[in-house]
Amino acid sequence: MTAPPVPFALEAQGLTRTFGAGTGAVYALDGVDLGFPRGTFTAVMGPSGSGKSTFLSCAAGIDRPSGGRVLVAGTDVTDWDEDRRSRLRRERIGFVFQDFQLMPYLTAEQNVGLPPRLAGRRPDRARVRGLLDLVGLADRAHHLPGRLSGGQRQRVAIARALVTDPAVVLADEPTGALDSATARDVLALLRACVDELGQTVVMVTHDPVAAAYADAVVFLADGRVAGRIEAPTADAVAARAAHLDDRAAHLDERAVRR
Amino acid sequence: MSGMTGLALRSLRHRMTAQVATFLAVLLGTTLIGSFATLVETALALGPAAPDRDADRETLIIMGAVVGGWGSLIVLFSVASTVGLTAARRAGEIGLLRVLGATPRQARRLIRREALAVAVLGALAGAVLAAGTGWLLLDLLRGHSVSASVEYAAGPASLGAAAGLVVLTSVAAAAVAARRSTRAPAGVTLRDSDAETGRMRWYRVVAALVLIAYGVGGGVVTITVTANSDDPYAAMQTSGSCSILVGLGLALLAPLLLRWLAAPLAGLITGLGGQGAGYLAAYNARRRAHRLAAVLAPVIVLTSAAIGTLMLVSIDTRTLPGGTEDSDTINLLNNVVVGMASLFAAIMVVNAFAACVADRWAELRRLWLMGATPTQVRRSVMAEAGVVAVVGLVFGALGSLATVIPFSVARDEGVVPDAQLWIAPLVASVVVLLTLGSGRFAARATMRTALGEVRRPAT
Ligand SMILES: Nc1ncnc2c1ncn2[C@@H]1O[C@H](COP(=O)(O)OP(=O)(O)O)[C@@H](O)[C@H]1O
Ligand SMILES: [Mg+2]
Repeated sequence: MTAPPVPFALEAQGLTRTFGAGTGAVYALDGVDLGFPRGTFTAVMGPSGSGKSTFLSCAAGIDRPSGGRVLVAGTDVTDWDEDRRSRLRRERIGFVFQDFQLMPYLTAEQNVGLPPRLAGRRPDRARVRGLLDLVGLADRAHHLPGRLSGGQRQRVAIARALVTDPAVVLADEPTGALDSATARDVLALLRACVDELGQTVVMVTHDPVAAAYADAVVFLADGRVAGRIEAPTADAVAARAAHLDDRAAHLDERAVRR
Repeated sequence: MSGMTGLALRSLRHRMTAQVATFLAVLLGTTLIGSFATLVETALALGPAAPDRDADRETLIIMGAVVGGWGSLIVLFSVASTVGLTAARRAGEIGLLRVLGATPRQARRLIRREALAVAVLGALAGAVLAAGTGWLLLDLLRGHSVSASVEYAAGPASLGAAAGLVVLTSVAAAAVAARRSTRAPAGVTLRDSDAETGRMRWYRVVAALVLIAYGVGGGVVTITVTANSDDPYAAMQTSGSCSILVGLGLALLAPLLLRWLAAPLAGLITGLGGQGAGYLAAYNARRRAHRLAAVLAPVIVLTSAAIGTLMLVSIDTRTLPGGTEDSDTINLLNNVVVGMASLFAAIMVVNAFAACVADRWAELRRLWLMGATPTQVRRSVMAEAGVVAVVGLVFGALGSLATVIPFSVARDEGVVPDAQLWIAPLVASVVVLLTLGSGRFAARATMRTALGEVRRPAT
């Protein structure tokens, strides 16, 4: 008897992504197997250049993997063409970027409603308002991004990521451009997405404190999975991250000496 | 000082592509103005012994000063708008410099020096070209409008004046744009480079109203005074340039027109099922009217000048079949004006669109990241082109009436000319093709940058 399969919101099987060819080829991802169960919050950590952003891009259909599979809510999306990937991004994936990526000429409310617009639907006004309310920006609905603070912009971006009720929310260093107090708000918000909306969140971060908001932390190094901590504390994460950083530095040093 | 110049030169090198439009505008502008300026210098150099000296002199001066003058207005306008667009494009970078500690004055100087460097290069090249095109122009006139014996006698004076005028215009336009981009505090500049509210300056509105009033005034004078003159060309003199003047005035108001009309037009385009493309175009056009206005302005001038002048020639040849002894020259003058205005405006439309869209590659990529298909991204640019074409045609056609109605009335054809009304839709279709074509060209070129890297097939 085998256990019933875990319902993964997002799953990567043997994912590879190489840049360049021949001897100069860089393995940004080198056989990554990861599954993210529905309704969980996972942090992805690793030294700079370890493939974290590449992983999120491949998962979101922004980048094309060189090998392996990507499954979104059980559907294999690996071989989808450009138009289907676009639809995947606006319907099934919510992406939160370090630099917000809001449209400068649309108000907060219009930015949140953009994914359904791109799908040719009129956004559900109540839902958009509800999300702005959730992220605490109900009173800023008509502001242009230029008039919002960094933290407010990121909260608009989170509301936008949630608007189509995606299978998974991917966040690439969402607090990287924010001060620590603002960062805490944003992290609490992502946590609330999981606890209250039942969303699945995968967040890349450098910050052990941020990672401690997650249910689990996955470590990447040199494009491979290099460990996992369940129910992480900031201290445990920091210790492991420091170890990986040291190893990376050590490898770099060896490369330089050679 | 020298540190600032060094920085200007370095930043120039990194922004070569952004400066190409400025360079081309200055180059062509100097060539055109310079060519006509040489006619004036040649005229003034005509020796006392030259046969038909006075008649030739008058023809050359009219040609050079009048045609060159009207042409210059269009050319200088285009140069100014291109330089302004390029300088405004630097706003984001300037914001960064200011955050790093550059004072507003330093930032402004940077923009001005950069514009000066490009303008001087373009003007020098243009002056050299103008020496050749000026000679060709004279050769074209020799034997028809002036005696065959007239010798080309232009040099540094006319060419230098033309180059100087264009350089001055460029630097002034850059200074205005620089002021606009440094008015706010440093942090705000950086943000506003994303979405400037772009209120129009009062002097721009005043200049626009003066140009429109002058053009309409010319029309009124045509109907009330010169229509009754014995000289059949008196009415042409007072009405001929009215469409250009009103067109230029409306072009100055382009940001305002876009802000008013983008929303209803967008409704229309969205209604046509653009899948969000019309929606995006509408808000971009409205909330960043200043940028798209750089494209709209030449479309208005082109439409207005082309319809106005072509209808003028059409009415003239119909109502004065035999012509007078001056007819050849006058028709040539008119055709040169239309040709020059059209060529220049067309180049401006292509340039401005390319610059405007290229600058937005990051934003177009953003749309794609949000789940717009590449087709949708391209359509959003095309929808903007559509908005520009429609607004440009409506106001360009309106501007052309300032010439068409008065001249038609003066030549007893009534408010509506008797024939060849197809000129208007013909010009309109050329303008639509030009606008949509340059939008398509701009979108293609930019999308290669915006999506190229990520769409590369897996290795
Ligand atoms: N477009 C690209 N072209 C070439 N190499 C790339 C590209 N994107 C990423 N890489 C390389 O892939 C590796 C992983 O990059 P990335 O995923 O951005 O790392 P991280 O986000 O963990 O810092 C790095 O070595 C990087 O240099
Ligand atoms: Mg990264």
